[in-house]
Amino acid sequence: MHPYRRPLLMLLGMLALSACATRPPASEPEALAEYEQTNDPLEPLNRGLYAVHNGIDTVVLRPAAEVYRFVLPQPVRTGVRNVLANLRSPVILLNDGLQGETQRFGNTVGRFLLNSTLGVGGIFDVATGFGLPAHTEDFGQTLATWGVGEGPFLFIPVLGPSNPRDLVGFGVGIASNPMTWVTANGDNTLENIGYGLTGLTVLDTREGLIETIDSVKETSLDPYATFRSAYRQRRQQEIRNGGANPAPANAWGTGLGTAGSPPSGTQPGRN
Amino acid sequence: MNRRFLLAAAWAAPFSLAALGTAPARAEMDINRAAGFIESTGQELVGALNSRAPVAERRQRVAAILRRAVDVEGVGRFILGRWWRTASPAEQQEYLKLFEETLIRNLSARFGEYEGVRFSLGRSQQRTEDDALVNTIIERPNTAPFSLDWRVGEVEGQPRVVDVIAEGTSLRLTQRSEYSAVISRNGGQVSALLDAMRRQVATLAAREGR
Repeated sequence: MHPYRRPLLMLLGMLALSACATRPPASEPEALAEYEQTNDPLEPLNRGLYAVHNGIDTVVLRPAAEVYRFVLPQPVRTGVRNVLANLRSPVILLNDGLQGETQRFGNTVGRFLLNSTLGVGGIFDVATGFGLPAHTEDFGQTLATWGVGEGPFLFIPVLGPSNPRDLVGFGVGIASNPMTWVTANGDNTLENIGYGLTGLTVLDTREGLIETIDSVKETSLDPYATFRSAYRQRRQQEIRNGGANPAPANAWGTGLGTAGSPPSGTQPGRN
Repeated sequence: MNRRFLLAAAWAAPFSLAALGTAPARAEMDINRAAGFIESTGQELVGALNSRAPVAERRQRVAAILRRAVDVEGVGRFILGRWWRTASPAEQQEYLKLFEETLIRNLSARFGEYEGVRFSLGRSQQRTEDDALVNTIIERPNTAPFSLDWRVGEVEGQPRVVDVIAEGTSLRLTQRSEYSAVISRNGGQVSALLDAMRRQVATLAAREGR
């Protein structure tokens, strides 16, 4: 057994034992209503995981994102973001289809064709200029439109705020992405490209959230509660396909890209 | 705010009906009025943020604009939610004072970041029973423009901002969650929230002094 695994398992076990928040009694209807509204029965466990995430973020993710921002000038970062978004097109397309969103389906096809050709392999988002703005879809949203409930709130280290439905969606999203199979079944070079893409996605997402997360941590009296509330509200809006702002930085369909991130990289919608 | 408005409407309805003999007065916020209100308030705010005046003077100008434009009491009470009634009258007063202070200090502590800010009206849309949602585009130097929705309600006959929504995330809902978590995790003591708010105001003030 790996030397670090045993203490880690014990820690997880202890967290799980202390994991359940107490449900308020029926005699306190307002407290009960809030408990149900918050949808976080595993709050103690989640707060523990949030602390773990925060540690990783402070030591690794945020500094890496800072370096990424420092090393690459803005136009290059925008290009990277556009390429990554373009590579996600097949998954977005599949979900447009599964949700019966014919217009968005057409949009995604048009965007992929335009940006892959005129946009030089997706570096430039020319499609937005042609009236085809970006949007995101993922399997978590598709499951939601099919009527699958979100389940209890979860905070997953590195991925951020989530829930069982969006977590399953995240897994299916990876499995259904052609890039996953191309890079996993390829030779060494392709495999490395796969790791590179994953790394870039993490860097790009975190870089786009530097200010947002900093300001929440600075101004919120309880950042965990703020992230939880913001994630769930924003997720509801994404599921409704509401709002004019596409969020190309939202790669995961779970926390990182959804915790109240500002729309970046594209013009805000004026439609 | 709803209750106050209903009360006002209940008072006003018989008079206006008798006077005009027409359909009952419309309860909802007129979208053009709301948009005009956001436009003028926004220009004022941008003017104050971009002025070359010393920080303390800018903060006073911003504070005056916010007190006029935001339904501070209504929003504050909404955010405290179910804890409002468990708070003592003294705590309620203190809370509202601190709430206004955090609102203002949160802005004034980042005056530097807002320099060069511009804003314009985006699409406007009517939403909910009596509020209007006004969309704006905020632009700052070296930052991608982003969109903010302002929920405008009518308080004592005047348009007032009652919520700000970014990306489907309502500020007052998020903040209610935050404050409630602080109180719940401190054994349901509103005083714990007040302590935390006091500390926050002090931190923000110190930051501004730098």
